[in-house]
Amino acid sequence: MTFNPLILFCIIPLAAGLLCMLLVRQPGLSRMVGVVSMTLNLVFSVALLMVSYLKGPGLIFTTDVGGWPAPYGITLVFDSLAGLLLAPASLVALACYIHSFSSLKPETERRYFHPLAQLLMFGVNLSFLTGDLFNLFVAFEIMLMASYALLSIGGTRRQLTQSYKYVVLNLMASTVFVASAGMVYGMFGTLNIAHLTAIVRHNVESGTPLPTGFTALAVLLLLVFGLKGAFFPLWFWLPDTYYTCPIALGAWFGGTLTKVGVYAVARLFPFAFAQGEGGLAVIMPIIAISAAFTMFLGVLGAVSQHEVRRILAIHVISQVGYMVFGIAVMTPLALAGCVFYMIQHMIVKASLFLCCGVMERHAGTDDLDHMGGMLKKHVWLGVLFLVAALSLVGLPPLSGFFGKLTIIREGWESHPWLSVIGLATGALTLLSMMKIFSYAFWSPEPKHAPPKSNEDIPTDPNRSWVAAYVGIVMLVVAAVGVGVGAEPVFRIALVAGHQMHDPTDYIKAVAPNGVPGVHTVATKSAVHHTTTIPAGEPNESPIIDPTAVYHELTNTAALIGRTSP
Amino acid sequence: MILITAICVAVTFGVSVYMMLGRDLKSVAMGVFLLSHAANLSIISMSGSPVYNDPEQGITFKQPPLLVSDDAYHATDSEAVAATGEEATASPLNTIVDPLPQALILTAIVISFAVMGFLLALIVVTGRATGTLDVDKLAQEQLPTPSAAH
Repeated sequence: MTFNPLILFCIIPLAAGLLCMLLVRQPGLSRMVGVVSMTLNLVFSVALLMVSYLKGPGLIFTTDVGGWPAPYGITLVFDSLAGLLLAPASLVALACYIHSFSSLKPETERRYFHPLAQLLMFGVNLSFLTGDLFNLFVAFEIMLMASYALLSIGGTRRQLTQSYKYVVLNLMASTVFVASAGMVYGMFGTLNIAHLTAIVRHNVESGTPLPTGFTALAVLLLLVFGLKGAFFPLWFWLPDTYYTCPIALGAWFGGTLTKVGVYAVARLFPFAFAQGEGGLAVIMPIIAISAAFTMFLGVLGAVSQHEVRRILAIHVISQVGYMVFGIAVMTPLALAGCVFYMIQHMIVKASLFLCCGVMERHAGTDDLDHMGGMLKKHVWLGVLFLVAALSLVGLPPLSGFFGKLTIIREGWESHPWLSVIGLATGALTLLSMMKIFSYAFWSPEPKHAPPKSNEDIPTDPNRSWVAAYVGIVMLVVAAVGVGVGAEPVFRIALVAGHQMHDPTDYIKAVAPNGVPGVHTVATKSAVHHTTTIPAGEPNESPIIDPTAVYHELTNTAALIGRTSP
Repeated sequence: MILITAICVAVTFGVSVYMMLGRDLKSVAMGVFLLSHAANLSIISMSGSPVYNDPEQGITFKQPPLLVSDDAYHATDSEAVAATGEEATASPLNTIVDPLPQALILTAIVISFAVMGFLLALIVVTGRATGTLDVDKLAQEQLPTPSAAH
């Protein structure tokens, strides 16, 4: 369904960014503009997601930018997957932005922090929405350019010694990405994701061999997105980078940026690049092995660390492993679990980082040896941290549980060894989270003042705490909400999982008249699937019936309940 | 021509990787710069022949986004012309190069130019703040790791 207001996702942050640029000398006004823009983004994405589910389920909104019809022009596509990631990403952005009012140094804020934050959000929005491979590269660049600047903003010695690594590595990945996008064009004559998917699927279904080098191309793209998403063995840049930047930014980056890389894999690989013989023989094993190492080595790294920021930063990697696990299994249910896990991880991880920011300010350090006794002084901080930490671990009423349950249960049949590693990782996650909690909150207060180890921790004791807590509470409430209200979220995630598994809907929404070169696919899908769902008859879509799949899942859950003690 | 381009791309990639592995940040920056050139060169080599018809399999892999009259379009598409190749030159699709890769690298060049500007500025600032551009020395400047703090 064509829905041109989708472009607002680009226009709002861009306009707000330009406005903030003009208002750079007035931090108060800039903050206001920023909060309004991010709130609008959040409200718009949530509303659109609800409409897409209620009128569909799984109604896909598209916009042909500039009026050029797909596959010739750039298309923005808002499907369930994009919507489910846009909404929490906007929430995380808003919460971290509000938190930054009380944690960012004033001089950093004056150095164009507000415009850069808006541009970062623009890049993230565009990466989730774009339906074009080259445009995805442009979106990545916008996002990364803003993140380079945000990482080195303020220019402390400590930041500068780390940020060049991030910049150079990402530049390298982007260059490989643009070269592989060019090769995709050389192979298929298209950059449109729907068109590309249609061609690949058509070839696979009709038994025609895919072009030579297709698998190599897929490996190149996996390398690029793996580096951005911090998969094993490409995660080495992450701990140092997220460790050095101001905490509100660390939370934002840790919550959102790696997920953009995972999103690109989740979008492109089930659709096209993991299809065909090469995909099954080469790509899927790589993804599965990478998932295993990412999960397990990530959590081992986290257990071995003794500083809160480092533990949290390395945990990002371990959690990315679960999402990759979901992609590796590649059934609709596992993909739905992957999407659900991404949602909860964005929210929970950002809230943990923000808690860490407040803890650091109380203790003056993030070294666990010099922290302690916080539960007596700051009970609510302890409660918030505990809830967020247990969500991350995945204890039942909280959100992490449902994502892990689905992924591990679905993976049990095809990849049992991965499921075992996933369970072991969960146990170690609990260990490392409890390490933070017991050292920082339960242990007696340290006798000596800590050595000053981090020049980014604000020292001004008169600064307001309100904004910091507002940010944390927003995220923790959302995390609990996703856990307690898992059913509606999971229903939408199931729709997304089905759409990721079977691209017919996506192709039909992007190119209603079929795509050139694959007439057979277009006619076939028109016969077998009705994808334009009449507005008056909800729940009539023949391919996606979330209720049925939901029953399947609840049966699965009941089965697990019976078989395990 | 394809072979020459391929060799150019390979050599550029090789040189850029060699430079990126250097210890000096300036040479790393040059390596990144060369890498984007290599990528652009490989993209431009994708423009090639705009329409690739495989009459046996009946698949058109590459259809460039060119607006031509229907007659000309079908002239290239029909199997008869592909077999004889005589009338094919009448179609504009057979006489011009696919322009899209050029548009792509224009965008990529602009982006890499901007990013390069940022990287060079970052290197200047890093050099001023730390007094060195040697990657090894920068790595030693790291904050005390947990073991060093005790």
